[in-house]
Amino acid sequence: MIIIDGVRKSFGTLEVLKGIDLTVEKGEVLCLIGASGSGKSTLLLCINALEPIQAGRVLVDDIDVHARGTNQNALRQKLGIVFQQYNAFPHLTAIDNVALAPRRVLGKSKKLARELAEHHLAHVGLGDKLHHYPSQLSGGQQQRLAIARALAMEPDYMLLDEVTSALDPELVGEVLDTLRLLSDEGITMIAVTHEIPFAREVADRVAFFHQGVIHEIGPAKELINSPRMPRTQEFLGKIL
Amino acid sequence: MFDYRFQWRVVFRHWPELLEAALLTLQITVLSVMIGLAIGMVLSVWRKSDNPLLYWIAATWVALARNTPALLQIYLAYFGLGSFGLHLSPYTAVLAAISFNNAGYLAEILRGGIDAVNPAQRNASLGLGMNRLQMYAYVIFPQVLRAVFLPITNQIIWAMLGTSLGMIIGLQELTGMTTFLQSQTFRPFEFYLAAAIIYLLVAEIVLIAARLTARLAFRW
Amino acid sequence: MSTLSTTFTWQDFLLMLQGAGITFFLTIVSGLFGTIVGFFVGWGRCLGSKLLLYLLGAYIEVIRAVPLIVQFVLFNSFMAIAGFPLSPFISGILTLSIYISAYVAEVVKAGIESVPRRTSMAARGLGMTYLQDFFHVVLPIGTRAVLPSWTGLMLGLMKDTSLIAVLGATPPELLRSSQIIITRIHDPLLILIGAGAFYFVMCFVIARLSGRYERRWQREQEALQ
Repeated sequence: MIIIDGVRKSFGTLEVLKGIDLTVEKGEVLCLIGASGSGKSTLLLCINALEPIQAGRVLVDDIDVHARGTNQNALRQKLGIVFQQYNAFPHLTAIDNVALAPRRVLGKSKKLARELAEHHLAHVGLGDKLHHYPSQLSGGQQQRLAIARALAMEPDYMLLDEVTSALDPELVGEVLDTLRLLSDEGITMIAVTHEIPFAREVADRVAFFHQGVIHEIGPAKELINSPRMPRTQEFLGKIL
Repeated sequence: MFDYRFQWRVVFRHWPELLEAALLTLQITVLSVMIGLAIGMVLSVWRKSDNPLLYWIAATWVALARNTPALLQIYLAYFGLGSFGLHLSPYTAVLAAISFNNAGYLAEILRGGIDAVNPAQRNASLGLGMNRLQMYAYVIFPQVLRAVFLPITNQIIWAMLGTSLGMIIGLQELTGMTTFLQSQTFRPFEFYLAAAIIYLLVAEIVLIAARLTARLAFRW
Repeated sequence: MSTLSTTFTWQDFLLMLQGAGITFFLTIVSGLFGTIVGFFVGWGRCLGSKLLLYLLGAYIEVIRAVPLIVQFVLFNSFMAIAGFPLSPFISGILTLSIYISAYVAEVVKAGIESVPRRTSMAARGLGMTYLQDFFHVVLPIGTRAVLPSWTGLMLGLMKDTSLIAVLGATPPELLRSSQIIITRIHDPLLILIGAGAFYFVMCFVIARLSGRYERRWQREQEALQ
């Protein structure tokens, strides 16, 4: 379970998160929606401590993420993250991209790490691209590679940061299919997304961000089909 | 003009010594670049550190290595360290000084390379649970080395030229051996021309080896 | 100067100061010659003649792969063989000039190539001749682009003058004069650190000054845009 409790985050004088409270249960799929700059992506980075926070706390399975003495590296092994710009490692083939962290961070044997990588690449439909470098893959393939890379650490949670935003429209489908697969398998996911129909279909709950606060949160279908707050209505009206 | 009789036979007679000296030059060059690269990597990371002490050590090392003559650095290693009771052999003094010098220059080159790596690679690495050491070793530096491969190659050649300073403290690397042989035979032009050609060959070998390494290592 | 004293004296300091002056002199003279030669070599490589490109390229390659000490002895003994024996001082300065010219040539070529072709074409389109375009358009733009690299070369040259001097070719410059003092007072560490400080200050001051000019130029450039 992830508990976010009164989190505040500023960049210089600009306050991006103005007190976020949120609880995510095991097995839940939560989508964060809202205009760009509303703080959704920053929240993801605060959950796995890639960004420090100024106030509040984040608890992942009862561990205080930002507390002094917390082993953040160990913690991040439980929290897979996938970015908008895929960020595949350009100097490694697909299989080495995926095998790197299991081998070096989890200390698995070379053989085991590669088997694991093969399994996860096949899982996201890249079984025939094992020895391709990222530069030889399309954007959609690179993003699926990034998802496989995160999954190979066998995380308890997946943080997805606008994973389809950088893709050409015709490539969005293949990545969303992969995410559907994951949600069917019951992996806990927090996904920042602009794909409202996808959120409606896959998410259990949806949270609407506005100017650094959660403006409205509720069951996915309910919130998207009949939002209560005028701001949410306005946003969904524009985007749908 | 040119009533001089060139004598090449005397040079050929001494080719085993010249070859041995050239191998010593090559050895010091390769070792000093490897040591310099290892230290340079640490310094380049420290120069980006928030820790004031680490930053200061790295910045000072880089400034000293780059703003004083390599020959002075060799003198310090050979004569100066004696004040601390540390008496280095000419070989060790040259290797230490050229490595010190390489580390300073390579640290600057590598720092530029780190800036050239997409900053998002940091979050991608840390997000997988890597610590900083793992991030630099497996993700950042492999990419840096490709980005700055050409300047590093230039630095290798520079290190080779630098080893010739060993002659001044009596090390019989290629220049030192050449000086010794010509003092025995009074044929400076022939011997130094031979040395120049051997240096060209060593440089060529280094460049070809570097290019082959690059082709094997940077296939992405 | 008291030759008996085994401590560092005021005269010693003056000797080192004088040495620093000679270092400066050697740098400026050979830097000037080297820049002139390097300018023509670099320019020659950009004239579009394949023959010139490779011939001058070989000149650069050879000079950059042979240690300065070897070049100096080779040049010196060659001139003697050829019947023009030079004083070590002159041949020292000439060697330094030739040596640095190869590096300057590469910088000059990079500078010329940094000027976009369309800028040059615009000048020619206005009816300028090749030389007018070169001197009034390409050169001013290119110079700004590579001035930092050139400054770096001159700082390198300043440090390399120590080599020639240590071989006894020139009056005692900074490092050689330090050596002289060391043989008398037997405290190499102190004197070498002192000499290092001299070099450091000279390099640092020049690097700072040129950095300031660069920034000023950059500001002017930005103001123009």
